[in-house]
Amino acid sequence: MQVYLPIAEMSVDAFLLVGIGFGVGWLSGLFGVGGGFLLTPALLLLGIPAPVAVASGANQVLGASTSGVIAQSRRGNVDWVMGVVLVAGGLFGSIIGIQLFAFLRGAGLVDAVVSIFYVVVLGGVGSLMVMESLRAILRRRADAPARLHQHFWMHGLPFKIRFRKSRLFISVIPPLLVGAGIGLLSAIMGVGGGFMLVPAMIYLLGIPTAVVIGTSLFQVVCVTSAVTIMSAWQLGSVDIVLTLLLLLGGVSGAQFGAQMGGRLRGEETRALLGLLVLAVAAMLFWGLIDTPDHMFTLGPG
Amino acid sequence: MPEESRRNRVFLVVVDDSAERAVALTYACLRVKKSGGRVALLRVLEPAGQTEWAGVGALLAQERRSEAEQLLGGLAAQVREITGGMPILLIREGDPREELLKLMAEDPRISILVLAAAPGNSGPGPLIAALTGRHANRMRVPMTIVPAGLSAEELERVT
Repeated sequence: MQVYLPIAEMSVDAFLLVGIGFGVGWLSGLFGVGGGFLLTPALLLLGIPAPVAVASGANQVLGASTSGVIAQSRRGNVDWVMGVVLVAGGLFGSIIGIQLFAFLRGAGLVDAVVSIFYVVVLGGVGSLMVMESLRAILRRRADAPARLHQHFWMHGLPFKIRFRKSRLFISVIPPLLVGAGIGLLSAIMGVGGGFMLVPAMIYLLGIPTAVVIGTSLFQVVCVTSAVTIMSAWQLGSVDIVLTLLLLLGGVSGAQFGAQMGGRLRGEETRALLGLLVLAVAAMLFWGLIDTPDHMFTLGPG
Repeated sequence: MPEESRRNRVFLVVVDDSAERAVALTYACLRVKKSGGRVALLRVLEPAGQTEWAGVGALLAQERRSEAEQLLGGLAAQVREITGGMPILLIREGDPREELLKLMAEDPRISILVLAAAPGNSGPGPLIAALTGRHANRMRVPMTIVPAGLSAEELERVT
């Protein structure tokens, strides 16, 4: 059943979109991830323009993370002060990202740049994940890597605040920078950025793991909603028909995946997730070097 | 009761994050002080679950464990102050109810489970509700339910 997507300006099979939503929702429930890094490339491969694919990816992460942040905040696992600082950085980063995106679209480079970002970031993340889980599978247990030394240059920076819940007294500059970096990735790639945000919060900022998950989800929810709103407002790239169809599949898929996810062993799941991330990177890399079917594309003038 | 077995009995107290656990702990300590036995403290850790990175998951588990050790260490000092003896410290990982039931089935030292009811009118709390309801047939030791509102004097009187 073909439906016309008014913003993406193309016709797509509605069942295919529901199916993609279901698959992405299933995998994100299974692995406990947002799923933006799966949805955006899937839509790109379908031929949906990059701005629309990225906005839909951010929207998907928003949906997947909202129930998580509510559950975590009920259990008191969100450091709101740290969350607000990270979000402030994230908003700044995503505004820069959206501007960059608008500029690239004008220059007709947006599809290539989105793909390059994906290849570099997912290639790196995926290789690290596979290596880490292979090591852990071989030894049958994972060592907790040591945190960075208690005091280094970061702690000499000004504007220190007390983050009571994180038991930290540090400058706001590092969390602002971390937030901004993730916000930029969120705007350009349509991902939540939990992959990088969580390790950065633990190893760089020294936040206790108990509050990391909840606080990172809070940042992701705020930044992805900002990205979705800004994409709709500045780029006009949120397609309501597309979003609804994806959501329809996504909600049921996520439930199904989360139920299955509880029964899987951590190490194997993580290795699979790493391979999946690498596969996505490889697919987009192939898209970059392969000779296109159409040598020329029409830009928006 | 022969003196020997009285000294060997163990009062198991579940250390969760509820406010009423203090009442259960005080009750168990006073019972031990007045009529012999030991206190055992059980803390059930939430499993690390799915994390993107194995290192993050391992660190999470490690930090939860050391936090639990610290908590139990502090409570053990309280127990020693009242009873004069060190409690048995137990840390397990998983679902609180399942781990509690498994422990009571596995550990022959445990003689009695002490739980405190939650204040308010929304029921006595999930553990008591489960152990007196659907899972009552899996209990292998008797259970004492301490009302939450008991004051220190009242606890002294009933123990």
